[in-house]
Amino acid sequence: MSDLLVLAILGAVLTGISCSLVGSFVVRMNLSSLGFAMSHAAFAGAALGLVLSLDPLGLAIVFSIGVAVLLGPLAEKANLPTNVILGVIFSLMISLGLIFINLIPQTAMSSVALSILWGSILGMTVTSVLRLLVLSVAIVLVYWLFFKEFQAIMFSRKLAEASGINTRPFYYLILFLTGITVAFSLKLVGGLLVFALMVNPASSAYQFFYDMKKITIVSPLIGILCCVSGITISFLVDLPVGSSIAVVSSAIFAVAVILSPKRKRG
Amino acid sequence: MFPMVELKDVSTVYEGEKFPSIRNITLTIQQGEFVTIVGPNGAGKTTLLETVNGLLPSDGSIAVNNKNLKTDGTLIRKGIGYVPQEFACDSLTPFIVEDVVMMGRYGKMGLLRSPTKEDWTIVQGVMSFLSVDTLKHTPVGKLSGGQLQKVMIARALAVEPEVLLLDEPFSNLDMKSRSELTEKLTALNKKGLTILMVIHDRASIPSACKRIITLEQGEIVSDKKFKVIQ
Ligand SMILES: Nc1ncnc2c1ncn2[C@@H]1O[C@H](COP(=O)(O)OP(=O)(O)OP(=O)(O)O)[C@@H](O)[C@H]1O
Ligand SMILES: [Mg+2]
Repeated sequence: MSDLLVLAILGAVLTGISCSLVGSFVVRMNLSSLGFAMSHAAFAGAALGLVLSLDPLGLAIVFSIGVAVLLGPLAEKANLPTNVILGVIFSLMISLGLIFINLIPQTAMSSVALSILWGSILGMTVTSVLRLLVLSVAIVLVYWLFFKEFQAIMFSRKLAEASGINTRPFYYLILFLTGITVAFSLKLVGGLLVFALMVNPASSAYQFFYDMKKITIVSPLIGILCCVSGITISFLVDLPVGSSIAVVSSAIFAVAVILSPKRKRG
Repeated sequence: MFPMVELKDVSTVYEGEKFPSIRNITLTIQQGEFVTIVGPNGAGKTTLLETVNGLLPSDGSIAVNNKNLKTDGTLIRKGIGYVPQEFACDSLTPFIVEDVVMMGRYGKMGLLRSPTKEDWTIVQGVMSFLSVDTLKHTPVGKLSGGQLQKVMIARALAVEPEVLLLDEPFSNLDMKSRSELTEKLTALNKKGLTILMVIHDRASIPSACKRIITLEQGEIVSDKKFKVIQ
């Protein structure tokens, strides 16, 4: 049991880091609904993998990146119908996912199937922790190497482009990393609520700082806090991990909004 | 003198629209010229500026400083300063003034490089030039409309551009700031900067501006050059 717990905690720390790092871009660029659709696509993909006895992780990646590739160009333009289309995709993906789960042969598989919905602290293996480690390192590296380009894009993509930054590769690089992140996070956090872990820690950090560097450091710290306390709660009171993390991260966001110096009137 | 901006038979259609917003524009702007574009709302002034720096895709041929915009867009934009007509940021925007001004240089600096001392000297210089250096640590979301406008102009100048595109730069400025900006643009133009400026109010066209182009319904209806009176 203790080995499982150690793996779960390591997994939680790394999931917290990767989700909230990509989240700081997703939140700032108003890509929340795209992230939302992508995370549910990952869930549908994983469910299909379980039905067909194919690699659920691989299909989860294919599905979520598929959504990014199909809808990224629409979201890029940020006009109204995009959100409607993303809403449709989101509901389609969640329906497909639930249909696939129904098709999964009963008995042994059902707990695995449910875990891709709510997450599970028992699912972490050495391999999945290593995968998350490689992903986290990759995201940190990308941010570190191209921080100045990301800053300019997060201020204004149009002005970044106007000043001679080719913004499209950076935009799609983050969407690609987001797709992999949601797929890798399914096991621990589950497809329904992984989204909360992307958006809430980053949104909380945005309440406090006027400096992207600080936000980029604090978001993952909040993400780690959410994940570790989430799995602790799940472990103690036997709740689905995804729900615990979503509740903790929402509470942190609420406190952040209340305490935010940005919202205080002088 | 050599042609700095050359448009040949250029038309721009917004995505999803049937009709072009600017049509068959042929226009040559020499290096060092100070050109003002006037015209009613919806005439296509903003569209023309964003066509010149390639933010909007267009038909026809465009060259800036003898480079083809279609093939060298990113490179060309490193040499163009652009001040958009309207720029809003919400109060949560996580950037302070000096960083926003520095961002103007990021494209030019290139990948994998951080701002050097020299970059900061230039940024400091343009901030003092626009009298926004006292605001340098202020979050941009807390600026007034006019202050933000000046910061955006500083950002465009931080590029050390060959061409400066200004879309209604006076719109949010008080009288004093307008005349200061006019003086500053005149000084920059004297040093050889090519300026293409959109303006509403003909009365505030700087005297240094020797060419006025009138745009109506997407077409150039007049292009007047004035003799330099010494
Ligand atoms: N994003 C857009 N999509 C579709 N059509 C657009 C878009 N932006 C502008 N237009 C159309 O293109 C035409 C020219 O617009 P533009 O913004 O260039 O005018 P303008 O001369 O800058 O006007 P103003 O003085 O109001 O700033 C207008 O008819 C407008 O309706
Ligand atoms: Mg305009």
